[in-house]
Amino acid sequence: MSTQPPLSVALIGNPNTGKTSLFNMLTGLHQHVGNYAGVTVEKKTGTWTLPDGGQVNLIDLPGTYNLNAASLDERVAVDVLAGHSSDAAPPDLVIVVVDVENLRRNLYLASQASELGVPMVIALNCWDVAERKGLQIDSKLLEQRLGVPVVPTVARTRRGTGALAEAVTRALETRPMLVRPRWPEAVTDSIADLRRELVETRDETLREGELQRLLFDRRSAVAERLKTPAAERDALLRAAREKLHLGGYQPDAAESLLRYRFLNPLLNDILERQAAMKKRSTSESIDQLLLHRVWGLLVFVGMMYVVFQSVYTWAGPLMDIIERGVGWLGGIAGGALTATPILQSLVVDGVIGGVGAFLVFLPQILVLFFFIALLEETGYMARAAFLMDKLFSWSGLNGKSFVPLLSSFACAIPGILATRTISDPKARCITILIAPLMSCSARLPVYLLLIGAFIEPEYGAAVAGLTLFAMHFIGVLLAGPLAWLLHRTLPRSVASQPFVMELPHYRVPQLGRIGHRLYESGSEFIVRAGTVICAMTIVIWALLYFPRPPELAETVQATAQVESPGISEAELEHRLNAAYLKQSYMGRFGNAVQPVFAPAGYDWKITVGVLASFPAREIIISTLGITYALGGEIDEDSDDLRSTLAKARWESGPRAGTPVFNLPVALSIMVFFALCMQCGATVAVIAKELHWGWAIGSFAGLTALAWVAAVLTYQIGMWLA
Amino acid sequence: MRLDLIKKDGLYRVQKMDSGNPCIARLMTMGLLPDQELRLTHEAPLGDPIAIEFNGCQMSLRLRDAALIEVEPIR
Repeated sequence: MSTQPPLSVALIGNPNTGKTSLFNMLTGLHQHVGNYAGVTVEKKTGTWTLPDGGQVNLIDLPGTYNLNAASLDERVAVDVLAGHSSDAAPPDLVIVVVDVENLRRNLYLASQASELGVPMVIALNCWDVAERKGLQIDSKLLEQRLGVPVVPTVARTRRGTGALAEAVTRALETRPMLVRPRWPEAVTDSIADLRRELVETRDETLREGELQRLLFDRRSAVAERLKTPAAERDALLRAAREKLHLGGYQPDAAESLLRYRFLNPLLNDILERQAAMKKRSTSESIDQLLLHRVWGLLVFVGMMYVVFQSVYTWAGPLMDIIERGVGWLGGIAGGALTATPILQSLVVDGVIGGVGAFLVFLPQILVLFFFIALLEETGYMARAAFLMDKLFSWSGLNGKSFVPLLSSFACAIPGILATRTISDPKARCITILIAPLMSCSARLPVYLLLIGAFIEPEYGAAVAGLTLFAMHFIGVLLAGPLAWLLHRTLPRSVASQPFVMELPHYRVPQLGRIGHRLYESGSEFIVRAGTVICAMTIVIWALLYFPRPPELAETVQATAQVESPGISEAELEHRLNAAYLKQSYMGRFGNAVQPVFAPAGYDWKITVGVLASFPAREIIISTLGITYALGGEIDEDSDDLRSTLAKARWESGPRAGTPVFNLPVALSIMVFFALCMQCGATVAVIAKELHWGWAIGSFAGLTALAWVAAVLTYQIGMWLA
Repeated sequence: MRLDLIKKDGLYRVQKMDSGNPCIARLMTMGLLPDQELRLTHEAPLGDPIAIEFNGCQMSLRLRDAALIEVEPIR
């Protein structure tokens, strides 16, 4: 017996039914999160131990309202239930998690799933809420009518999980099937046609339920899986739908009409008591305030202020602790490795620096995800999207983009991760691509340095403030039109979804569930993005470190003693580091591509700074510190750096002797950094959330955009000056 | 009359809907079918989208899509 593969059970249900809570309850921490082959839909599996000691493999399918395959989620659900998911046979049983308060709509999904021929058990979840509202449903009667076990459960308190386990154990033996509609002749004839043409003639493997999907759904994802050539397949599907139409059924409406016509008589008397609920529910009373034209917006602004502040400011102390911890670790490692400078630099600047480079994002991610989990679990997130939708709908996005984009003003990393709350794949993709244009906190040091050195002394605090505001605004200004453009040009493979959104009943959030989500998002970020960010940091370190010819030290020392005798040890060290950087691979590369940046007014030092800041924008400051021989331990408030920049002169070329940094150059650098994607972590996260192609494409696109804007700024600035 | 033009607090019944539109098709799978009763519960501060209630669930949809649903007032 033990050689048999373990039985598998799938969980399916509408969003907001407590399906994932139930999954967590049944599997505990015995979970595995991965992806379905070829698609970015999260695949959660876990081990569930039944009371008889047997173990089943539990699959948590994505929450869906139906199986009409409008999105990848629904397609995955159909594929798994039909056994076409690349790695598994069809499940031995499906548990449909049903929200008692929306019985009719939830059973529609159960009815669709039953057509795929999988035995079924129904979990009537949120039983406690229903009981409190006086909504008593006769589960025994429902069981008789539907032909499958119906078990009342309360996922949040474990109520009913024992009964569910028993029902599942029995059902794995008896294999109960949900009653299915008796379809009219027009449907059965069309299905028979499809079966004859596709299954018998063309040898496709399709279950009854999949043939239904092909017939009823205008753009069924099942069709993409067929091996029949597209033109031939589409002609067959058109003919079948035409037959349905001639039989008196509008093909797009047929399934909904017929399936509800079948379900309604089974449920009407059971749901009669629900009529008593017609009076305003608690959720509706709360919405009178939260969706109010004035008060609703005020509450919304207040909440978003808290969310933003938490990511922008409150995560700061935690980030400081991590940075200090990394610095302390680097100090210890550095001290231990003084004998071998290469190893010392690799370990301290490369490895430990690389680990620090992604760990430092963790506080912001966790803080933001705490609020997102809270907003989602309570049901407010949908309201926020409802309030803000109009701001986005013109560009092809929807209200759900608001929170991720707002968070991106603090940092694009948590912002991009937060786009997972956007269910429309196209809107999500576009939101990810424009998120880096929101001016994050890493740009602030660049703005502060240049404004402090070139704008505030000359034009005063008011203009300085205005410049700072303009730098934050320029990205938003370009993001809207860019989203609009992307919406019209993105390939059709990124499907768009109609924007109809449920405003679910408000719920009291469960701390355990929020904790679980934090754990998942944090560990996933470290495992998936952390490794890439760390690797990138090491590569950039190597480009800045090598080559390192030993004779350079002597040359620098000799020159220094001639030029400025009595030079201090530290000063000499800084000059040596500047010399090393200049002839490093990165330095040479910067020199080589300087002509590209010349129209923006950059010399080779700025160019190297721009290139070396690929891991993170603020690195340009320490790089400038090194190239100007002030050392890398410098920050944006350093007066040394500010005055050195102001004094810098072109060494050669047409502008030899004139200042490198004038107002147009300072503005041009700021504009470049406002729009570019010099942030290795963002590139890595986009690659992990979408695909490497998108990551590289958006990096190239934003760099080009930033370059054009920087050149325009400089040229117009010089022309005006 | 069209669903995008109805008033708050009245009760309406769906007469016909354009099932070829993906938004409408989605609402139909959720149980919004001809003869279904519904109410307008909320309008977003900027006028669009709107929220309607039917069968005990609240759905938000945009005016553009709501215009494809014909309803009649019953109260």
